[in-house]
Amino acid sequence: MLENEANPTISKSTGLPRKRFYRARAHSNPLSDSHFPVPISPSHVDYSLHYPQFFSSSGEVGSIKKVQFADVGCGFGGLLISLSTLFPETLMIGMELRDKVTEYVRERILALRTTNPGQYQNVSVVRTNSMKYIPNYFEKGQLTKMFFLFPDPHFKEKNHRRRVISPHLLDEYAYVLEVGGIIYTITDVEELGDWMKSCLENHPMFEALTKEELEADPAVKLLNTATEEGQKVARNEGQTFQAVYRRIAPSL
Amino acid sequence: MENTQPEGGENNRDLEVAPALISVHPTQDSVAVAVGSDLRVFDLRGNCAVTLVDETGEAFHKDSIRAIRYGANGKLFVSSGDDKLVKVWSTDSWRCIASVCSEKRVSAVAVSNDGLYVCYADKFGVVWVVDLHGLDGNETLVNKKASPLLAHYCSIITSLEFSPDGRFIVTADRDFKIRVTVFPKKPLDGAHEIQSFCLGHTEFVSCLAFLFTVDYPQGFLVSGGGDSTVRLWDINPGTLLDTCEFGSKAGIVDYKGNEVSCSTVTDLCTIPGSNVVAVAVQSLQGILLVSCDLSSQTFGAVKVISNMGDSFIPTSLGCSSSAELLWTITGVSKTSRF
Repeated sequence: MLENEANPTISKSTGLPRKRFYRARAHSNPLSDSHFPVPISPSHVDYSLHYPQFFSSSGEVGSIKKVQFADVGCGFGGLLISLSTLFPETLMIGMELRDKVTEYVRERILALRTTNPGQYQNVSVVRTNSMKYIPNYFEKGQLTKMFFLFPDPHFKEKNHRRRVISPHLLDEYAYVLEVGGIIYTITDVEELGDWMKSCLENHPMFEALTKEELEADPAVKLLNTATEEGQKVARNEGQTFQAVYRRIAPSL
Repeated sequence: MENTQPEGGENNRDLEVAPALISVHPTQDSVAVAVGSDLRVFDLRGNCAVTLVDETGEAFHKDSIRAIRYGANGKLFVSSGDDKLVKVWSTDSWRCIASVCSEKRVSAVAVSNDGLYVCYADKFGVVWVVDLHGLDGNETLVNKKASPLLAHYCSIITSLEFSPDGRFIVTADRDFKIRVTVFPKKPLDGAHEIQSFCLGHTEFVSCLAFLFTVDYPQGFLVSGGGDSTVRLWDINPGTLLDTCEFGSKAGIVDYKGNEVSCSTVTDLCTIPGSNVVAVAVQSLQGILLVSCDLSSQTFGAVKVISNMGDSFIPTSLGCSSSAELLWTITGVSKTSRF
């Protein structure tokens, strides 16, 4: 406790980490080889460290829960925090490349767990390059939802291969998503919105959700409102462009 | 042991060249060797060197050749490398029947089992497919277009292999990954359905081969890598069945006589119809023969073959489907058989 009082990065009133101590660049190069541990395979990830309460209470080996939601490029974790209470029984993980931002989200989750006993036990975060290491974290068909909210637009054509939604990377996302699983994308950059939509539209293993399905989906409502980035766009009264698609079995 | 290739002046060349490569015709009609930008084919039936005919305008290869391979039915031969040209040769006439320009340097090539598609991987981790339909061997196609098939995210692909039944294309990369992808009916539209990832290597994966017999026609995948292991996989679920850590077994010694504990696997060759994998290891004078029990899906004994002569460190291995001879090649253009 004493330590906490002396720690200026934690807000005294809320117990939450203060964002200004976790400033980071808005962009990160996914092609540079950063050094962080990468699990050899999904079975090498010790999820009991991420979700201690879920793993201590379930106990039996057969009933081990698996992560079902992935927020790729989770930023400061706004979406995860909202999803956590909306789907309290679903394990979800944020993936973020910038280490300071990952650190912030980790502290934020720990603080929320302390101040709200019993809640936020189903969220966690890892620092990784999801464009390279998605298959190291998830098994085939493990995920039911994947989120790509306000990704880096990488405007220059020569940098398009750095975009987190691309025809080839969609193959990997289709692999980790179960049939019927949903991929959510949103951006405030029209050009990127068109790009993500056309990538998904042209992929044989994804189909668009209908208008009715979009309206019925509680996660869709969070796309604009839950993230820090989305709130910023709303404040500036900017437009957003979303594409929400379902993983389907490929036709033979 | 017998030298079958004219040695030319390769020994004296100080330039840095790509490791020598060897590929053997499936029915042992011929054997091809690449050293640097030099490609030579020896006709084993006629016991003479083959004259390659290249009328595509580009005179042979201009830079290091990184990949050579015969198609499974023996009708085609493909060569490619740092000059970004993929050349498809007819093994009847030894004419270059198609030449494809790659955007990037090429690191691996493969021919689909039906001989209708040539796939190649570039330095950016993209695998491209070239449609050979309607290529009868008499005409020459220059600048044939390739379509992207699949990609590993910005990781160099080191090996490209079709499964024995032709259903899957397997790719290995420098990020420890092996990916098994369904080879689609219309490959030009891309291969989107990933069957599995084979994860377990802790360093880059350098080579792949399938081990299959009459009893196990689907076969098992064998991989070698920079972590000095050879691994056995069931590709359908992507399960690691067994790992052979040969580092200590081989007793590899460096030039000072110290035992080298970690050595990269440079090439693998499964002996068709048998349960034996021949393994070439960096700095090992000789090869390892690893046997495999296919019923229990485990590796068995490892045998070191080291009577290949002084400083003979194989860089590439080849074997025909009749499995009579194992061909090996070392850094200089010297081939041998036993």
